[in-house]
Amino acid sequence: MPSSMVGQTPSLTGFLKSLKQNDIENSIELFISLLKRRQIKNSRPCAIATTHLLLRVVAEPKRKWDAQKLIARVRNVGRRLIAAQPREMAVGNIVRRVLGVIREVAERDEDPLTDSEFSGSASPITEEFQRPALPTRFSEFSPLHGAAAMPHNMHSGRPGTADSVSMDLGGTPQRPALLSTNASYAGQGPPGTSLFSILQHPQGRSPVATPPPGTQSPVTGPSPSRRAIGGEIPEKLDIKAEVIDGIKELQDELDVVDNQIAESALDHIHSNEIILTHTSSQTVQKFLLTAARKRKFTLFHAEAYPNNHEATHVTILNGAQGEDDSDERWKPLTSLGITVILIPDSAVFAPMSRINKVILAPHAVLANGSLLAAAGASTIALAAKTHHVPVVVLSGVYKLSPVYPFDTDELIEYGDPSKVVPFEEAEFTDKVDIVNPLYDWVDCDLVDLYITNLGGHAPSYLYRIVADHYRVEDIDLNAKLDAVAKKG
Amino acid sequence: MAEQGEPAEQSKTADEPKVSAAELKKRAKADKQARRAAQKEQEKAPAEVPPATNGAHQEHLTQAQGVQQDQKGKATQAKGQQQPKPSKQGGQEVRQERGGPSQPPNIPLRNKAASTAPSKKLPKKDNTVVELLSHLYPVQRRPNLAGVSKDVHPAVLALGLQISTYEICGSSARCVAMLLAFKEAIQAYTTPRDTSLPRHLVSHHLSPQIDYLRSCRPLAESMGNAIRWLKKLIVELDPDKPEHEAKDFVCEEIDRFVHERITVTDQAIAASAQDQIRNDSVVLTYAKSAIVEKTILQAHEQGTRFRVIVVDSRPLFEGKRLATSLMRAGLEAQYVPFSGLAHVVKDATLVLLGAHSMLSNGRLQSRVGTASVALRAHKADVPVIVCCESVKFSGKVALDSIVLNEIAPPEELLLSPIPEKSPNHPAGVATTAVTGKSAAPGKSAAPGKDASEDDEPAKLKTLHDWNSIPNLRLLNPMYDITPAEYIRMVICEYGSVPPSSVPVVHRLANEGM
Repeated sequence: MPSSMVGQTPSLTGFLKSLKQNDIENSIELFISLLKRRQIKNSRPCAIATTHLLLRVVAEPKRKWDAQKLIARVRNVGRRLIAAQPREMAVGNIVRRVLGVIREVAERDEDPLTDSEFSGSASPITEEFQRPALPTRFSEFSPLHGAAAMPHNMHSGRPGTADSVSMDLGGTPQRPALLSTNASYAGQGPPGTSLFSILQHPQGRSPVATPPPGTQSPVTGPSPSRRAIGGEIPEKLDIKAEVIDGIKELQDELDVVDNQIAESALDHIHSNEIILTHTSSQTVQKFLLTAARKRKFTLFHAEAYPNNHEATHVTILNGAQGEDDSDERWKPLTSLGITVILIPDSAVFAPMSRINKVILAPHAVLANGSLLAAAGASTIALAAKTHHVPVVVLSGVYKLSPVYPFDTDELIEYGDPSKVVPFEEAEFTDKVDIVNPLYDWVDCDLVDLYITNLGGHAPSYLYRIVADHYRVEDIDLNAKLDAVAKKG
Repeated sequence: MAEQGEPAEQSKTADEPKVSAAELKKRAKADKQARRAAQKEQEKAPAEVPPATNGAHQEHLTQAQGVQQDQKGKATQAKGQQQPKPSKQGGQEVRQERGGPSQPPNIPLRNKAASTAPSKKLPKKDNTVVELLSHLYPVQRRPNLAGVSKDVHPAVLALGLQISTYEICGSSARCVAMLLAFKEAIQAYTTPRDTSLPRHLVSHHLSPQIDYLRSCRPLAESMGNAIRWLKKLIVELDPDKPEHEAKDFVCEEIDRFVHERITVTDQAIAASAQDQIRNDSVVLTYAKSAIVEKTILQAHEQGTRFRVIVVDSRPLFEGKRLATSLMRAGLEAQYVPFSGLAHVVKDATLVLLGAHSMLSNGRLQSRVGTASVALRAHKADVPVIVCCESVKFSGKVALDSIVLNEIAPPEELLLSPIPEKSPNHPAGVATTAVTGKSAAPGKSAAPGKDASEDDEPAKLKTLHDWNSIPNLRLLNPMYDITPAEYIRMVICEYGSVPPSSVPVVHRLANEGM
């Protein structure tokens, strides 16, 4: 193990610092061991660490990448990371996003003059195309927008690509490239532009010319000009630089995700509401803080014993903390005049008839709209459903996983039983089986609304967002890459 | 002397009309304000303060008021808060303590048991009351015997303290213990000369005992039913009966009541419920119910092969005691914190629940969290069976968990102080405000107080500082109401009935007598 982390508590910031000093293989090993030992946990730190690590992997000095080798390399690294902690889905999500970036850059570079988004099979697709275009649902940024964007596997009767994840998709027909913005796509766009852009689609760039604010990709700028200058630039350098840019966008997205989610706070929280939440999620705190500036409401906060109650108490009393170890704390809600009532988890059913909304923060969101959240969330959601209280889930798109929950038990991670009963009580811990699940699976029926950094969505819409952000062939990282022939 | 005094006085009186008129007015205003504030405090003060202490109580309050008026401003407000010992700390125990005759009212006492930072008693808004449930405040617990009426029998005194500290917990247990204590109290009673036992005993002897018990903890439904029965019994006694015979009769009847309606009933219910436990069942239960425990142990003795899942919750951790006793009996037990409920319900084949009371609209009032357990089980198609003696059946109705409930002292939610280094410190076992948290929380409260005074950056507040945060409340309800739809069956001594039959059984058992 690299010596740079000896003597410090291993954590995200320590890891990020050490990334600068260590070589790549050591960094990967370090990250794997941090994941295995659960010294990095929860979605956001893992996502941030993965992004930084992959950035380093791609930016390996003196290494010239071509697309396929880069994809293979990232897949390998990704496989190892995911194997270290399979239940930490954010790691896999980021890996898949990066792979998507790489594929997209690769496609763009291979067909610089033709419309690379609609690679190769554009015309055959339009000919085979049977389904009418659904312009109102596709934004200009969606790879599915416009007639030509439909991957022809959809015609061949295969089910929605995002849902049938676990199968080996190595031989799937190609999908058109993701558009050049690697940041999250807005799923909703003005209906008119996509029809317009169909007419214009030969120029791959035009739909991108007027990106909505906030999803601007800096990548779009330089590349056309570069290409315009004349495609003489060696592709390998291009790929590396563009992929690095893409990953940096991902990093930026991770930074601003909470702010973007909090932007819609005032739309959802109104005066004199009584809101129920649980655990010490930063996202929820930020969301509520934003609303608290203008609205007065009451908050019931369930403490999530035994795994999160201390953090919850600290958050309620002192305010949420920014990432990992930073000393700055946001203000506690109580200081903004919001009445916060701390209740034990067993008491969530009792006041539910008075509660107007439940706000949850997930650990991971699955492709069918269900989620994994801290233990206790399922009880809360069920109680809310019985009382017809809307359940709102705040989640960045980085938590959205293309995995479909075939076996929900597999997804639950178990925690330390000594938090329930300390090991000093030897007789008890010896003879009684103590179970301490860390997560609960909450079915999509129990959730009313997802608020992501792209806005609000119903759970039934999430598969679309999955389709926007992940490539089908990346979903199963263990599949063999049928690399060259099929352009991803 | 007098002559010297006179001119001075006269000159004074001459000046007085001008100077002191304004002053007098000011003083009068100040007095009025003080009186008003004291009145407000008194109104807020609970009715349960025993009458004996009222005088001392008021006296103390005006002094506190005076103290507060001297110290105005934020900086000194903390001190002002500290001096009147936290009013709402778990109830009125401290006020009553100060009201006790042995303590001079001026000295602010710090009750060791009161570990929290002082509450802002003096500002109008009460920091600890959750407005949604304001009808359930103030919290009634009693850590000591200050200010208790002299008529309360020592056995009842002891019982009250045991109930207040959860040593006797569970409505059947409390009911039995109360009746046994009343037996002793009745035996110790002598009728005064002018009146007869039936007329005098209830109103003058039993009532103070009951009031005292109520001040220790709100009465359980079973206790209420038992008291009604007892009062009826006594009042219907033949007044010509010699006293010792009457007393013996009452005591025998009490024994019979306990035997018939609790002891034998428990056996009958256990026998009936254990038929529901078959081989290879997985029985899930929540917290600790004496009768469910009995059922399970009996089924185990019968040789049925099954395992038990015990779900537990903060702050009482009653389930742990149940799991321990089951483990000692040799059962295969699984112990899960409340957060693990969703995970274990899938494995269960039967849910057995105990009750605090069954309401007449078929709903179950039981330990907080029961409703979630029943809901989950219902959704998973696992039958939910409630074991409940008829003495717990009630004529009340409730639509949600807010109208009928009991709020426990919020201090029970506090954990033992967390050492800063280890984030994984296991939670402290529940203790009550009474047993308190000994010296350690006192220490943590002190730096906490300082922290709340300055602008804290160095020291993070812990939950022990909750009182110093004006908008923070801790809510610790004891019960919740489970809707009737989630309950398959209620087993009582009259048989196994659906929840809709509760009012029928109640009429039969509790009112027909």
